[in-house]
Amino acid sequence: MGSRLSNIILLLTLAALFFFPRFVESPYAFHIMILLFLSTIVGTSWNIIGGYTGQYSIGHAAYFGTGAYVTMVLMKDKQIPPWLGVWAGVALVIIIALVIGSICFRLRGPYFVLASIAVAEIMRLSAMNLKELTNGAEGILATELPAFRIGGRVITDFVSKTPFYYISLVLAVVTIVVAFLVLHSKLGYCFQAIREDQDAAHALGINPTFYKNAALVISAIFTGIAGGFYAIYVGFVDPATVMSLDISVQIVLVCIIGGIGTIYGPLIGSILIVPITEALRSNLIAEAIFKTGMVSQESHFGSFLKENLAHAHALIYGILVVLVILFMPEGVVGFQRKLWSKWNKGLG
Amino acid sequence: MTKRTMALVAALCLVFIDIARADNVKIGFINSMTGSEAPVGENLTNGVTLALEDLAKAGIKVDLVKEDDTGKPQVSMSAMEKLATRDKVAGVVGPYTAACGNAIARVAEKYKVPLVVPVAAKDEITQQGLKWVFRPGAISYDYAEIVIEMATALDKPKTMAIINENTDFGISVARGAKAVAAKKGIQIVFEEAYYKGSPDYRATLSKIKATNPDLVFMVSYVADAILLMRQSREVGLRPKAFLGAGAGFSVAQFAQEQAISNYVFSSTQWTQDAKWPGAKDFGKRYEAKFGKQPTYHAAAAYEAMMIMAETAVKAGGDREKLREALRAGKWNGIWGEVKFADYDNFTNQNKHQMLVEQIQNGRHETVYPPQQAAKKPIYPFPGWK
Amino acid sequence: MPSGMTVFFQAVLSGVLIGGIYALIGIGMSIIFGVMRIINFAHGDILMLGMYLSYYLFALAGIDPFVSVLIIIPIMFAFGALLQKVFINRMLDALPQNQLLLTIGLGLIMSNAMMLAFTSDYKILTTSYSSASVTLAGISISEPLAISFLITAGITALLYWFLTRTDTGQAIRATAQDAQAAQLMGINVKRMGMIAFGIGGALAATAGALISPTYYIYPQVGSAFTLKAFVITVMGGMGSVVGATIGGIIIGVTESVSSVCISSGWKDVVVFAVFLLVLLFKPAGLMGKSRM
Repeated sequence: MGSRLSNIILLLTLAALFFFPRFVESPYAFHIMILLFLSTIVGTSWNIIGGYTGQYSIGHAAYFGTGAYVTMVLMKDKQIPPWLGVWAGVALVIIIALVIGSICFRLRGPYFVLASIAVAEIMRLSAMNLKELTNGAEGILATELPAFRIGGRVITDFVSKTPFYYISLVLAVVTIVVAFLVLHSKLGYCFQAIREDQDAAHALGINPTFYKNAALVISAIFTGIAGGFYAIYVGFVDPATVMSLDISVQIVLVCIIGGIGTIYGPLIGSILIVPITEALRSNLIAEAIFKTGMVSQESHFGSFLKENLAHAHALIYGILVVLVILFMPEGVVGFQRKLWSKWNKGLG
Repeated sequence: MTKRTMALVAALCLVFIDIARADNVKIGFINSMTGSEAPVGENLTNGVTLALEDLAKAGIKVDLVKEDDTGKPQVSMSAMEKLATRDKVAGVVGPYTAACGNAIARVAEKYKVPLVVPVAAKDEITQQGLKWVFRPGAISYDYAEIVIEMATALDKPKTMAIINENTDFGISVARGAKAVAAKKGIQIVFEEAYYKGSPDYRATLSKIKATNPDLVFMVSYVADAILLMRQSREVGLRPKAFLGAGAGFSVAQFAQEQAISNYVFSSTQWTQDAKWPGAKDFGKRYEAKFGKQPTYHAAAAYEAMMIMAETAVKAGGDREKLREALRAGKWNGIWGEVKFADYDNFTNQNKHQMLVEQIQNGRHETVYPPQQAAKKPIYPFPGWK
Repeated sequence: MPSGMTVFFQAVLSGVLIGGIYALIGIGMSIIFGVMRIINFAHGDILMLGMYLSYYLFALAGIDPFVSVLIIIPIMFAFGALLQKVFINRMLDALPQNQLLLTIGLGLIMSNAMMLAFTSDYKILTTSYSSASVTLAGISISEPLAISFLITAGITALLYWFLTRTDTGQAIRATAQDAQAAQLMGINVKRMGMIAFGIGGALAATAGALISPTYYIYPQVGSAFTLKAFVITVMGGMGSVVGATIGGIIIGVTESVSSVCISSGWKDVVVFAVFLLVLLFKPAGLMGKSRM
């Protein structure tokens, strides 16, 4: 695709996204977009350590959860507004990433994966047990945010979803830009060298430990910020919601489906997965099917759909992942590129 | 494009746009229909079903919008938001668990939707001065108090061990148990919170056995209640009484495991022996229709739905009028007298009489207080067969 | 303190009994890894399928879970072999990370398909002996756990005999040691892969059936067991049957004793911490290199 054309499309899409709230009122549409942006943020940040550097961490919930908890605890107990508290979360996340890196990066390949899982689980269980710090399994509930003021003026009360929409949109754009810059910098070059052949890279003078940790820290920072945002958006955190293995797995799956190691892979993966799973979960798809009259709500099949479609989202994840890994290991983006180059070859 | 495709596309578009429908009053119902809490949640669903039947007979028509929160607080919050903004219900009945109840109380307040919480027992739900949240069910302290009170009426127990799950419900009731024990001069010799989904309690139960307590106080949902008692039997734990705090201990499924459930006491908010108008008939009707004894959750959901629907229709589906009517109203049905009042630091809380049931021969029997009892309590625990 | 010691020994004994079942899960994963070098993230979900099979065999046909093992082994062997043939076989040359992700996807499909079919309500299997126990010197031994342990021991012994005394078994071990050399010797490596997966699946499902009288059954129960299986397999040495057996028992006892000495909330943290230590300091596991 011509670079000019793709830039224009990019700008148009961004413009459309910025003006979206003017034309749409449904809080549900906002909710889906916000979740989409969040998924893009965590997916793109994971890609930095996973796709570019080749270290498949399935323990990123550790960073997401830490960002979430720190932001929540500071807001609820010390009345520190989340736009400040999240930076404390980031600081903690950096420390944790360095610690985890020092433990796990001694291991390679699948052993690294297992270690990353073990570490994330230790953190989740600690969050469950350290009640004074995190309120344990009960979680922390905080639905009132302080108003955001500049000077003396209140910019937003966070009552509607619009501020959340814009914040997550900006975060997503920033994350993608950072990923792009990293990919095209010396850092990115070293990351990819390590991915291709760590020992050869080392022989060429690239210090794997330094670069792997750098990648992990960058990745962790944005994941942590996303966690903090998620916490205040939903208003509730508990170890199962923000630190579970499921979250780590979802983050990885979005990237796999979209295209590992590509800039837009996580975005595409999110677009494919998030709206569908949300629509399934909240019965929108079931309702749509009933409205078309193709299936009646009262019929056997209809009531089966109604009861169960809402829970099918994880099944769809699983099927998509298997299909993608078997037939499109480079994800949708990689597949589209192949198609495109085949088409171009055919033309030329 | 074919007509079919256009219809599909149109439907998909409509799905994202709100359509106002001017029909019957809409009531939302949030419950744990699937997930680990489903066996108890089923009772709430059935109670609501019976309520809708009775409402229809009385000519009160409402449209029910059901939402499944799968027992997770954040899903409950999402469901509440959807009911409030997309379905535009007049009011909401539910949810089931304490954790979910606590989570959606504030959402109800934010969107100004009257919420009637049937049984979720966490004290805090009505301790926050929320104007839009009403609870006909009892508070967690009451769960602990009634059953320990019964134990002290039958005997002079000196020591108690507490094992509870570390959820909102488990923790708040355990807290209540400690407070009640302190008042009655009972010493707590052991206390542990376990987390759901770890089905091996042998170590904990052995530790409890080693402290030789007079009473063992347990707070669990269904699956854990069964496993706790199974492993208590295995380990040979033999206190003077097993005291359960409702929830998992009140379900028919638990009672049916006779080898391990017999003689276990459980605090409950309702049984069909209670001297409240229509209670017995409700019990019979439930058992005839659903094939098992109802738990207190069924009765609570029934009454909550009756109250909500009648009041909502009278208020013409207006949320503010509904709230005022709930505040001012007084009811007397299978749940006894219901009046939402402010007292101590509770808001819109009904003062509900608790009962104690005991499993005898695989069935739940009301054994306390004496005025409401159908059978005599069997105490002390006669040991394992 | 006599009662303190009793509690401790009680914990050790329960740990050993449960450890036997853990060992079964670990052995299955170890064999799969040994032969195919794949970390099977769907292992716990296969265990879950075994649980459901035994539950329905019991509920619908009255077959005791321990007896149902005889039915479950062949069915799940075929299932495992099928999985390998249809899915895993295509991925033999892919990146190990991708293989792992494939098994994650398969696991998701399994657990969610079961959820759709049977709802996620917890199911409890009650047999006449579900809560029975025998008391010996003040320590109570859970009957169902004791029987499971004996069955596990029997199966492990059978497996060991199979691997060391039969041609197929030795072919499997050869493939585990060096797949290329084995191929040169005329061993059908692909077939060995199928058999390995079949055995792994059968063992996992059997473990599920053995635990079903004492656990609760629900679609997501698998993931906790998969994690334990990793820990055990790594501890014992990837690919070592003897190692996985010992690893299983060690993990069972560690869990149980931590539960008593610290609290049930921290026991899994201890297990994972031990796991990390082994990964870091003795990654080849207790038994060293792939030696079945």
